[in-house]
Amino acid sequence: MNFDFSDDQQQLRDAVQKWVARSYSFDKRRAAVKAGGLDRAAYAELAELGLTGLYVPEALGGMGMGPMEAMVVMEELGRGMVLEPLLQTLVASGVIHGYAPEAVQADWLPRIASGEALVVLAHHERAARWHLDRCTTTAQNAGGWTLTGTKSVVPGGDRADAYLVPAMAGGQMALFLVERGAAGVTATGYVTQDGSRAGELTMADAPATLLTTDGLTALEHAVDIGIAATCAEGVGAMEFTMALTADYMNTRKQFGVPIASFQALRHRMADMKMQLELARSMSYYASLKLNAPTAERRQAMARAKYQLGVSMRFVGQNSVQLHGGIGVTDEYVGSHYFKKLTQMEMVFGDTLHHLGEVSARMQDQAGVFA
Amino acid sequence: MDLAFTPEQQRFRETIRAWVGESLPTDIAHKVNHHLHLSREDMQRWAKILGKKGWLGHAWPTAFGGPGWDAVERHLFEEECALAGAPRVVPFGPVMVAPVIMAFGTPEQQKRFLPGIASGEVWWSQGYSEPGSGSDLASLKTRAERQGDKYIVNGQKTWTTLGQYGDWIFCLVRTDNSGKPQTGISFLLIDMKSPGVQVRPIIMLDGGHEVNEVWFDNVEVPAENLVGEENKGWTYAKYLLAHERTNIADVNRAKRELERLKQVARQEGVWDDTRFRDEIAKLEVEVVALEMMVLRVLSAETSGKSSLDIAGLLKIRGSEVQQRYTELMMLAGGPYALPFMREAMQAGWQGDFPGGATGLAPMAAAYFNVRKTTIYGGSNEVQRNIVAQTVLG
Repeated sequence: MNFDFSDDQQQLRDAVQKWVARSYSFDKRRAAVKAGGLDRAAYAELAELGLTGLYVPEALGGMGMGPMEAMVVMEELGRGMVLEPLLQTLVASGVIHGYAPEAVQADWLPRIASGEALVVLAHHERAARWHLDRCTTTAQNAGGWTLTGTKSVVPGGDRADAYLVPAMAGGQMALFLVERGAAGVTATGYVTQDGSRAGELTMADAPATLLTTDGLTALEHAVDIGIAATCAEGVGAMEFTMALTADYMNTRKQFGVPIASFQALRHRMADMKMQLELARSMSYYASLKLNAPTAERRQAMARAKYQLGVSMRFVGQNSVQLHGGIGVTDEYVGSHYFKKLTQMEMVFGDTLHHLGEVSARMQDQAGVFA
Repeated sequence: MDLAFTPEQQRFRETIRAWVGESLPTDIAHKVNHHLHLSREDMQRWAKILGKKGWLGHAWPTAFGGPGWDAVERHLFEEECALAGAPRVVPFGPVMVAPVIMAFGTPEQQKRFLPGIASGEVWWSQGYSEPGSGSDLASLKTRAERQGDKYIVNGQKTWTTLGQYGDWIFCLVRTDNSGKPQTGISFLLIDMKSPGVQVRPIIMLDGGHEVNEVWFDNVEVPAENLVGEENKGWTYAKYLLAHERTNIADVNRAKRELERLKQVARQEGVWDDTRFRDEIAKLEVEVVALEMMVLRVLSAETSGKSSLDIAGLLKIRGSEVQQRYTELMMLAGGPYALPFMREAMQAGWQGDFPGGATGLAPMAAAYFNVRKTTIYGGSNEVQRNIVAQTVLG
């Protein structure tokens, strides 16, 4: 039992932190949002740092790292509120490496690691909400797989290069890879509440590559990689939000004194600190459990995402309240962190959904680690 | 980072588990697991068993006869004891006054007092709070006047937990009024059998006699019972508070009680009510998160690599979790949590309980009892002041 970061992990954190400080100013981010919410040039810089290959084996051009390194990176990207979807890259590379045939791995993983190919998870459907097993997109195999159906709120939207798509093949869910440029594929794009890009993906007999016929297992794993990464990203964003709020409270004066001197506000801050540290503890827990056996992993992710959801909402809302009027303006960076925190609560299953998951998975066991 | 304990730590846990399994009297574990009344004899029987093994002062350094365990081993020991249903060690002797005597007492005081604490023979009480001094402890007024080779003590302490059983009491007393309140306080060890000491019970809302007022009327205390220097008592008291670390979260007991809550919910038919089960699910996440926070603090303490500013959060969260599981247990009991029959909380009671639901008799009592946890040990509002200080300066 040990919670120290290794020197290598610390160096990785420093490198990402430095990149954010040097290359990802709030003004630059604002311009990227205006230009559609995903800047492939900035994504290429993440690739130059090697981050797109974090989960790709070294033999295939990546860094072959694990969940704790991913956590460190995502904390820093969350702190910098980086729009470019490295999280999706972690999901795609993790799932392709874990489930796809070797030839597919050899084809895609080097391109993912180099940043040439941005692959994202396209699994939402209008009627499915957070239920991973509900899927109406269908797959046909007549001399090669083709998919028909629509996926919604797909991260990256029309600026991604390929999509991981669950579809029903016969009675069973399988997982496919569909390229944006393939025949029968239409991808649109729009900006979401946090400024990042998403879109709608329509497939009409679109050619697809089969990754695995055990689609639900792979999809659950994909979502869990996403949950662990979101938790870490949330911790980084909350940390920044807290620092911003503390700074503001020590600067802003009312009644002739800094508002940081008022006990009602100080206690609010103490409660935010509690939520941050509970969230950080559960983010560690999520990443430490990401390679656990399936049932244990799923239970851990539900617990973690529930805590993060509670914490992100509390820290976000109260940060706005402690700022007063400036906190609800578009001009101020804080409101953008609030929107980011809000959106993170609503990806990969919201807080009520995961409470239901925890509740359904509760078992009698002596000790929560048993 | 690694969540798993090392093979050595696992073996350590197994050794402790085996020992607790054969050493903890089953009648005591039964009472703890069912929230039944524990007598002085029950508590002291377990203390003496631990004392004989050398584990009552399990956090003591080896120089004073402690086992020399590190923070993780101490945690594992506490966890195994809690999961097996051992009573919580009454902390005033081995956890509170002993470290102060070790750090600031004379060799004579150490020789005189530590063996009785280590063996569990001598019952210690704590004399801190006064009627006018709760959160503002430094305003305390109990006076100790030096007359030759003794102090004459006058005043009143209150909320003295289990003081009715106390042999000795360590007190913060005022020895100087001239400067800041903190600079005129001394740390005095007082024999509770001294003439002029009177213990009066305070009956709490659950009907229990757990705390007391302790009155001092011209009590003579030999000057040799002063710990450290006169007027430096506040420093020692703060040292003592710093000594109460992760254990204050009591997460091990929370893990045990969470499982007990699930049993009660099943038995009372609310397990299948998703509204109720979701509340248990929330608590389960709270317990896991609390455990992760405790482990983070332990890890930092053991490796010394990182300092954490979250120890102050543990008391707040631990006490809230404790209140929450007792609340849910009471709610799980439904109407059968309502009959107020203290005799039903005695082990072996054979009387009739409404609905035959004897096991639910202690639920409301436990709920009422632990309202204290967010008040004592520095109220949670005082703790929030401290936490806010770390964030806002």
